[in-house]
Amino acid sequence: VSGSALASRLEELRAAGVELRERPARETREALAAVFDAWSDATSTWRRDLAAELPAATGFSAEVVSEGLRVGLEGWSGAHFLALVESELGRDETSARRVSGFDLTATFLAGSIPMPTLLALAAPLALRSPVVAKTAARDPLTAHMVARSIAHCDERLGRCVACVEFAHDDAAKSDALLTADCVIATGSDATVAAMAARARPSSRFVAYGHRLSLAAVGGDGLRGSAGAQAARRLAHDVALWDQLGCLSPVVVYAVGDDVTGADAFAEELAGALAEIEERLPRGFVAKAAAAQVFHERAEAELRAAAGARVAVHSGAGWTVIREDTPRVRPAPLHRFIRVLPARDQDEFLDALAPLGPHLAAVGLAGFGGDQWPLAERLAALGASRVCPLGAMQGPPLAWRHDNRPVLVPLARYADLELPS
Amino acid sequence: MTAAGPDPRRADLDRAILDWMREPGWRHDDERFERLALDLFTFQFEHCAPYRAFCRARGETPDSVQRWCDVPAVPTGAFKELALHSFPAEICSTRFRTSGTSSAARGTLHLDTLELYEASLLPTFRRHVLPDLAAGAPATLRVLAPSPDEARDSSLSHMFGVVLREIGADDSGFDVSANTLQCDGLLASLEACAAVGRPVALCGTAFAFVHLLDELADRRLRYVLPEGSRLMECGGFKGRVREIPRGELYARLESALEIPIEMMVNQYGMTELGSQFYDSVLLQPDELRRKLGPPWARVVIVNPDTGRPAAPGDVGCLVIFDLANTGSVFAVQTADLGRAVEDGFEVIGREPGAEERGCSIAADTMLGDPAP
Repeated sequence: VSGSALASRLEELRAAGVELRERPARETREALAAVFDAWSDATSTWRRDLAAELPAATGFSAEVVSEGLRVGLEGWSGAHFLALVESELGRDETSARRVSGFDLTATFLAGSIPMPTLLALAAPLALRSPVVAKTAARDPLTAHMVARSIAHCDERLGRCVACVEFAHDDAAKSDALLTADCVIATGSDATVAAMAARARPSSRFVAYGHRLSLAAVGGDGLRGSAGAQAARRLAHDVALWDQLGCLSPVVVYAVGDDVTGADAFAEELAGALAEIEERLPRGFVAKAAAAQVFHERAEAELRAAAGARVAVHSGAGWTVIREDTPRVRPAPLHRFIRVLPARDQDEFLDALAPLGPHLAAVGLAGFGGDQWPLAERLAALGASRVCPLGAMQGPPLAWRHDNRPVLVPLARYADLELPS
Repeated sequence: MTAAGPDPRRADLDRAILDWMREPGWRHDDERFERLALDLFTFQFEHCAPYRAFCRARGETPDSVQRWCDVPAVPTGAFKELALHSFPAEICSTRFRTSGTSSAARGTLHLDTLELYEASLLPTFRRHVLPDLAAGAPATLRVLAPSPDEARDSSLSHMFGVVLREIGADDSGFDVSANTLQCDGLLASLEACAAVGRPVALCGTAFAFVHLLDELADRRLRYVLPEGSRLMECGGFKGRVREIPRGELYARLESALEIPIEMMVNQYGMTELGSQFYDSVLLQPDELRRKLGPPWARVVIVNPDTGRPAAPGDVGCLVIFDLANTGSVFAVQTADLGRAVEDGFEVIGREPGAEERGCSIAADTMLGDPAP
């Protein structure tokens, strides 16, 4: 998009926003609910087209895309969307408090996992704010498809969405988007900080920095049939989106005072990842990432050979390293997972403490009656989601990503306190 | 410097390699490299216990390895975890540490002698950075790095210290101290060189050159350094928030100092290696820019998916085989990417700020232990 075309597009969106705000909020939200219904229906044209085209655009295998969409959109129906709106805005909208969106919302998309893109476009519209999205370099497809699906369900609403593409280092165009009244920035902490520095002080700036997720298995789930089940579920969480999403576990802690538990679980997990590779093959891996995997495997092999209680299990598309301490180590991703031993929950939580501000989800298994107190402690540490293993890649639509509500950060509130 | 360790086989190896390094003309000699490499591998297999265990786990021993390129390579990350030396720990005289933040583990190269290290670095530096310097003549070198006295565990500072000691003119010196670029002194030196028309070689990390550019911009200064001036830059953005692509950095330096890009040389080296590789541009100005090293160090590009040598021209991991590493391990596997180019190679970097596919890609940064 050229600079002048972008400026014109932003003007058009602002004009469309005037019309949008004249429409009843309920009408807009019902149109968006229809969009969510279309996307959560595996047989819909949108869903089928995305499943067909996303592999070539992003490098994920077709099987991973299909399964990732199935799991990710399972609880994302129109009804779920309306429930989200009601839960976050309903009470305020029925009082003397006025809730509205901004005149224009700009969202900088990142990554290549489709569900966040759907929500990023729908959320401002739910508040009747037009939205312009800078597409992610790694996924030039999803935003455009979502925009078309919105226009298909409601043509006038479709005029309130624009997707633009430009290079990440095109400062002039980024600055044009940063003139929006509300800016949603997604990306690395450094990228988000750079955008925040350039955004107008009067703008609402909503930042989503990088997050990571992890798993923990208690002593009850490390061996036997429970261990096999936990390993299968964790392998599924790892395999979806090739471990590249913020809900993908980058590491698993084997919590228990019997050190052989971590050995056994690492073997189970290796078997499960080998098995799932048949069903959900790993996609494209860039040379730089492959080099990191190659390097980390060799480094672990050397430590193992030198006598540390370290084991390396690997196949063509996956790696499991059983480590000898809870110390966190480099995570090359692309189905590379370390099993870190922790004697007890205290040691596990101590090891996690530095990661607290960056935590997204924690998947648990094998903690029996201890799981609720542990979940409370993980929440206190910063996790925004604690869930069973196997469910990590299917967050509810209303998940408090980055410990925040979905719609509220994009809303403007006004309290009308005059006597009736 | 101390003599090599007491082991007579090691002393023989060191002597044979030093003889090669000290020969006046560089001669590539496959047979000599093969023989010394296999002898060195046998010695290190016998004297470095963790390395021996690693080789055995891979099913490789001196009996099975028949070619230098099949010697098992140790990943650079292992230098953070293990003391990889082929001499008794009690005779260790020098420890060079990799750069890194205080929260991250730092790799350590243990040495019992600096003789090979220095014998390797000097002719290589001279050949690639100062190929036109007359024998015995000194050169003006300004170093944008701390002195070895200030950074005792830095192999880079040691390297520059040796270079200044051996070929630096009286007006050479270090321009970083107390972790700060001492710009006033550096600029005074540049002005003095410019005044008398004496070429200067500016050497340092890329990040230090960025600081220099910032200072020049703040002071609204631009220099026209005398013809023959040159610049040697040795990377060093790792772990820095601000990173500038090399092409842009060189263009800005050319504009600020009037040193042509053809006179700018990048060095590829690392703490874990005794030898370094340099851009060919000053040595062979009419040929393709590529990295070249001394005949006692070789590079193989390895396909990270298979661990086997990459097809010619394909991008892969750089694995370095360096005979200067007699005290540690001969074969070192890096996580850097590169590609073979004629008789050398090029290093392929990731574009700063390039987006990755996922949103969890910053995991390493968050884990506080950047990938090597």
